[in-house]
Amino acid sequence: MPYTTGMDPERSVPVSLFFTCLADAFSPGVCSATVEVLERFGATVRVPLSQTCCGQPAFNSGNRKEARAMARKFLRSFPDDGHIVTPSGSCAAMVKHGYPVLFRDEPRTLARARAVGERIYELSQFLVDILGVTDPRSDFAGKVTYHDSCHLRRGLGVIEAPRKLLRAIPGVEFVEMEESDRCCGFGGVFSLKYPQISCKMTERKVERILATGASYVTSGDLGCLLNIGGLISRVGYPVKTIHLAEILAGKTGKN
Amino acid sequence: MELNANAFARNARKALSDKTLQEALGRTTGRFEAHRAAAVAGFPGFEAARERASAVKIDVLDHLGTYLGRFIEEAEKRGAVVHVARDAVQAREIAARIARDEGVTLAVKSKSMASEEISFNEALEAAGVTVVESDLGEFIIQLAGEPPSHIIAPAVHKTREEVSLLFERHLGEPRTDSIPELVGMARKHLRAKFLSAGMGVSGGNFLVADTGSVVLVTNEGNGRMGTVLPRVHLAVVGIEKVIPRMADLPTFLRLLPRSASGQTISSYVSILTGTKRAGDPEGPERMHILLLDCGRSAILEGKYREILKCIRCGACLNACPVYQSVGGHAYGWVYSGPIGAVLTPLLVGLPEASPLPDASTLCGACAQVCPVKIPLPDFLLELRSDARDQGLKTPGEIAGMKGYAGVMKRAGLLEAIERIAGVLGQFFTKGKGIAGLPYPFSGWTERRDFPAPAAQPFRKQWKIRRGVRG
Amino acid sequence: MNERESLFRRLSAPSGGHGAEAAGPLPEGAPTAAPGDVVARFAETFTAAGGFLLRGPAEAALSDLGEMLRAEGVTSLFFPDDDPVGREVAEALVPFGPFTLTTAAQVRGGSAEVTAGFRTAEAGIAETGTIVETSAGGKTLLPGLLADVHVSIVPISRVVARMEEALSPLASDMPRNISFLSGPSKTADIEQTLTVGAHGPKKAIALLLA
Repeated sequence: MPYTTGMDPERSVPVSLFFTCLADAFSPGVCSATVEVLERFGATVRVPLSQTCCGQPAFNSGNRKEARAMARKFLRSFPDDGHIVTPSGSCAAMVKHGYPVLFRDEPRTLARARAVGERIYELSQFLVDILGVTDPRSDFAGKVTYHDSCHLRRGLGVIEAPRKLLRAIPGVEFVEMEESDRCCGFGGVFSLKYPQISCKMTERKVERILATGASYVTSGDLGCLLNIGGLISRVGYPVKTIHLAEILAGKTGKN
Repeated sequence: MELNANAFARNARKALSDKTLQEALGRTTGRFEAHRAAAVAGFPGFEAARERASAVKIDVLDHLGTYLGRFIEEAEKRGAVVHVARDAVQAREIAARIARDEGVTLAVKSKSMASEEISFNEALEAAGVTVVESDLGEFIIQLAGEPPSHIIAPAVHKTREEVSLLFERHLGEPRTDSIPELVGMARKHLRAKFLSAGMGVSGGNFLVADTGSVVLVTNEGNGRMGTVLPRVHLAVVGIEKVIPRMADLPTFLRLLPRSASGQTISSYVSILTGTKRAGDPEGPERMHILLLDCGRSAILEGKYREILKCIRCGACLNACPVYQSVGGHAYGWVYSGPIGAVLTPLLVGLPEASPLPDASTLCGACAQVCPVKIPLPDFLLELRSDARDQGLKTPGEIAGMKGYAGVMKRAGLLEAIERIAGVLGQFFTKGKGIAGLPYPFSGWTERRDFPAPAAQPFRKQWKIRRGVRG
Repeated sequence: MNERESLFRRLSAPSGGHGAEAAGPLPEGAPTAAPGDVVARFAETFTAAGGFLLRGPAEAALSDLGEMLRAEGVTSLFFPDDDPVGREVAEALVPFGPFTLTTAAQVRGGSAEVTAGFRTAEAGIAETGTIVETSAGGKTLLPGLLADVHVSIVPISRVVARMEEALSPLASDMPRNISFLSGPSKTADIEQTLTVGAHGPKKAIALLLA
């Protein structure tokens, strides 16, 4: 199966893929879908394989020493130029907003972190704002509702880009859920520290999803989808989770 | 108020299974949120007001000594006696002394979170003064012997049935399920207290430096009664409540009622300056202002100083999905929700409130609604880091973090682990979710499936593909 | 004094000494001036705050006002000693009840009557639908405090657009009490259900007079 499709060598935009440890380990399809979509719209995608984790779980739980170690490795793993694109709002937000906090006492690393932060994008943000994509050219079909993950929406300010892309797909029947921007209860370590509160929040999110009658719920953050999906699969609700990148990639090209 | 913040996890679990509370919480916070959103939408100048209020409050923090000094000067010029308390012990002593010196036996009180911080009522009761809470919500929980569970709606957790039971037991009133009737009962009982109390006690929403005024923002009218009718007025206020000029007040009045309950303005705003003037038909002959430091000057010196911008509107509580799930009592002290999760550890010490900063998904809804732009999620993150520095994290968590960071140091090691996990995962779960995991993942798998690791991690797949592409 | 000194010592530490007037301009305050007629705007906002508006001249409004007070079970009217317009309106209203006249002192003493308190407002604020009453000039505040119904007489010339305009004339000689009254007293402390009439007046009426 050809891996690169429809690339226009003259329009080539260099992109490094930040594929995230979560997707790497649990949903590699999200990563390949991201590559496929980026290449569809003229990006030359490099995948630096020395990357591991941006350090968000350590940072969020207050373990900055370990977070810094992972952040330094992250900064070393990516080239000095070109865009960095990730299918994760929370990971992009971590690099953009979390790294300057981590390195506020280390001027040199801080400067590098800031420079990298300026070049990092979540996928839908990159497609719409940088590549100017209006139609993802996806053959995905189904009734879809969208969950605004907190870090994508409030952290990065990305609200319309995913919606624009979803609405442009002919086979997608897009329906907004109520409280689309309400936290799903994942919060990374929060879901382990306070699982009952977390689950209550997830239940409310799933209620809103089910109320739309959608067959799919999508989002720009895999963590949210694994959380929501975990409740759905335990109870057996008639809705599937699917990452935004996979909808944008479409049915063809899925491995 | 008694501190019980370290029991957050247990109290949160209790709250989650308390059906009455859950009903009350759902009803309340939803309404407040919706009203707030509507009020903000109907006021195009809201963002500009937020900017201005935040800037004014930062200016206050930068020159707190100056503004407080001015406030005290102006207040004293107009007959007020101003006291300063470093901590709760001192504050209680001063309050009791004032009551004794003024010969007070009955004090009628309107809502003051600061007075809860110092356990004011107990101090006065110990000095032989009867203290009656006149704010309806506070009156209700006083009868119930409970602490307030929300900054602006203290009895948010009580149903009308529970209130009626309380009124029957303590006031001898007949049972009813009519809320207007219940309110009427409270009105009747409290009216008599207002007319006979020797001292009215209030908090202070704002202190105005250039006029020496205490400003009260209320809806019920009890704050007015308690500060007009009795011979003595005692205002208990945190030092950070000062604003520089009367001309600044309207900006804050445009933000506070909208943020708290979605009102354009509260029913009453009282601007109280000094004692009654010669010729005034009513007003206190004596005015005491008790300024509380109680940990605030220490916060001012540090990285959390912006938390002192808070105008106690409660919007962050209403927006917080965690607060909405467990209510205020779970936080174990005066302040709950996002503001409580930051302020409580700062005022009582992180070791006494260590679960609170973790009780958040960092969703950012609070920062979005805060009328004075306090960076609450940033402060929560900072407190979590402080917890590590102060040795408050479990050895298990630290070991886990070190282990995880150790794996992430080397992509090769990570890949090896992912591939093993992938094989095992596929073997045991056949690609479906995992239903039961040991600690620390057991909480998750109680009600949710955990994803199985992919058969092959992406990095391995990419290597293979890259090989195919040549 | 000791504690005060030590507080100021603690506070001057970060700011470095005596501080100064706010340096630099602050961002623009909220643009809230209502376009058009302030009186019309006041009528809107006062009503939105739960108040009831009547327009003068006084004689024309008496019948409606009397009806509203009767509907609330009002039996007795009072007004400040030094409020000629308040007195005029209340006295003219007596036959429309019929109502008796009482005094602020009697109400303060705990009169059992259902009362309406009359008082001329110092100002009306269009932005928020607010009646402004102060203790300046020795006028009692009890009509807006203890009465069951508050009838505020608002001279149209005293209606201003924004809160700033109501406050600035007072700043040079602050009275003990400046009260902003916006509608009746309310509470939502039980089940978040809005109930009108907590401790203060259950009904707020504004009579706009030329």
